[in-house]
Amino acid sequence: MTRGEQVFDRRKFHLQEPDYTKPIFQVPDYYAQRMKQKITFLYGAARLDGIYPELERILKVYYAHKTPLMKEFEKNFRPENRFTEKDIILITYGDLIKTPNQKPLKTLSQLLETYLKGVINAIHILPFFPSSSDRGFAVMDFEEVDPNLGTWDDILELKKDFKLMFDGVFNHVSSKSRWFQEFLNQNPEYLNFFTVFSTKQQISPDHLRLIVRPRTTPILTEFCTLNGKRLVWTTFSQDQIDLNYHNPRVLLKMIEILLTYVRRGADIIRLDAVTYLWEELGTSCVHLEQTHMIIKLFRDILNAVAPHVALITETNVPHKDNIRYFGNGYDEAQMVYNFALPPLVLFSFQNENARKLTEWAATLKKPSDEATFFNFLDSHDGVGVMAVQGILTPEEIEMMALKVVEHGGFISYKANPDGSQSPYELNITWFSAINNEDADEPMEIQIKRYIASRAIALVMMGVPGIYLHGFLGSKNDADLVLEERQTRSINRKTLRKKELIQSLENPQTTTYHVTRWLVRLIEIRARQRAFHPNSLQKVLNVSEQVFALLRYTQDQTEMILTLTSVTSQPLELEVNLKNWGIHGEHHWRDLISKKTFHSSGNILHVKIEPYQVLWLKARNGKHAIVE
Amino acid sequence: MNFPIHEMDGGEVIVIDIPRRLTSEISGELKQLMKELIEQGKYKIVMNLEKTKYMDSSGLGAIVSKIAATRSKKGDIRLAAPQQTIIDLLELTHINQIVKVFSSVEEAVNSFKE
Repeated sequence: MTRGEQVFDRRKFHLQEPDYTKPIFQVPDYYAQRMKQKITFLYGAARLDGIYPELERILKVYYAHKTPLMKEFEKNFRPENRFTEKDIILITYGDLIKTPNQKPLKTLSQLLETYLKGVINAIHILPFFPSSSDRGFAVMDFEEVDPNLGTWDDILELKKDFKLMFDGVFNHVSSKSRWFQEFLNQNPEYLNFFTVFSTKQQISPDHLRLIVRPRTTPILTEFCTLNGKRLVWTTFSQDQIDLNYHNPRVLLKMIEILLTYVRRGADIIRLDAVTYLWEELGTSCVHLEQTHMIIKLFRDILNAVAPHVALITETNVPHKDNIRYFGNGYDEAQMVYNFALPPLVLFSFQNENARKLTEWAATLKKPSDEATFFNFLDSHDGVGVMAVQGILTPEEIEMMALKVVEHGGFISYKANPDGSQSPYELNITWFSAINNEDADEPMEIQIKRYIASRAIALVMMGVPGIYLHGFLGSKNDADLVLEERQTRSINRKTLRKKELIQSLENPQTTTYHVTRWLVRLIEIRARQRAFHPNSLQKVLNVSEQVFALLRYTQDQTEMILTLTSVTSQPLELEVNLKNWGIHGEHHWRDLISKKTFHSSGNILHVKIEPYQVLWLKARNGKHAIVE
Repeated sequence: MNFPIHEMDGGEVIVIDIPRRLTSEISGELKQLMKELIEQGKYKIVMNLEKTKYMDSSGLGAIVSKIAATRSKKGDIRLAAPQQTIIDLLELTHINQIVKVFSSVEEAVNSFKE
């Protein structure tokens, strides 16, 4: 919040029931035309008149829930300041922390209020809906909170202090969901909700080979229905039935759910596995134009009725395909998971060499003033490696994966079109990926290495995201992998509140040090406009052992040179600033150590300790940065 | 010593006999043995799982604790004669997709000649 900015209680943005006594929302012509174009692209002009009026009705119903407070808030909403240097998103399951006799969402709320209020400002609560498998991602009912976790009121209560990110698990639905059960009952309403075949032969081997998927299980799963056996499209698992977006009723239903989430408090909606939304035989069935068009339609809808709500796409695909989800920077996702970042940071620390990371980071372009990267290193899933195809060689990816195995992690594979399999993600906690528990080294060096790795995600252009286990510096839980028969469980251990608090308060634990370091860095970051997602960045190739990034405000009044050592060796660095377009004599103050440095004759001398992080802020205010 | 070793193929390949139970009580010893073998320049290793009926997560981790170190030196860790319970464990954790598995020690040793 900047000085003079009005504080809004975001819990009071929506009414529980629609108010039709107020004027009914009229879709502005600009948005109506955009939406109609997209519906026409997806379903053809002939079907537009059968689809658009229903969409308009859904928007009107949503709008009737908006309070005058929300409308007042929207008057001053500026999309270019949707995300700022203060934004940090904590990723967690609703039940990652438990305590007896209390619903987990309440426990989470209390802990966040005590330890992280004012540090992080947004929470991604992984799917909290009733679900039958995949830790919440096989949703049985999109509109209810899993009673084992809590209630909608508990979700709304979190909104008192934090922005909220909800999952839009829109690609598939649980086989136990009412929708799919109605399909099995052969209810005519639901017959076309799913992609159904009578025989396997309906997908030719050639078509089958083209389909790109992150799983090696069969794409079609057989179910017995009232009218006999049917095969349905299951990209992820037998329990996760893909929705059929060729049916406009499916799209309309999901739009209703999207807006239900907005009503229930979502500030950001994460489009899970959105790559696979639209299936078309004869194609790869990933990131098709129709899929992009649906996301763009969602964006138009939100812009029209709830412009402060952002979309984030989760697409573990090669980097060039990933950033296509920004669209033109103004018409698709406002945020994209920066999937290449985690494996490149990991690769840098494994090899004590940041060259590949530096080269890649130098290619990153700001998508627009309204869109930015989600700079995460860890999440509930593993470290995806698809994004670094073409950035790292297959041999480098394989060696990175093997080192993860040496650190107690696992590898998940995907099926390739040629029938072979290749690594899809690395299952390991970020702390165990960066540090080897078997190594005979002091905790202090492990923490320094870890914090250095995390600092890279904190300085890069975008919004940082930290998974709860990453925030705590948790180590692998391989026992849980065997217990739950799922390699991703290595990073999903449920913590007891009492024990967690003991760890947080005990200087003998890594959790104690990691959390304090992270809080400190985040607090420093939040005070620097140079770390605003729209501030510029310039990658400096000064040493293979250092990731060097200059962040500066668009008006060049603030400038921070960040240096992160990825090596266990001390370094002496001589940076010719002029070579990097930084003109002028500067006093530099490290925001972390508080030490000062002076550049003379455009040369900056810095001694860097192993895994040290320096955030050098130029002090004299007379900068000239030449592109 | 929980892990008898045998030099095969003129000392080129090392076979480590894994006991009936490979658990956290002894997995550290296996990791240490692997470390020492690598330090001695032994990069071709066969884990003889013939007798192994049970392995916990720690034991599993120990078996592959030097997989990158061996492969980076043109060697490998290969598994021989696992029983069904161990095969299930390898499949569950996808280790079977990382490490080559053979039905006998002899086959595993000979595979290094290919």
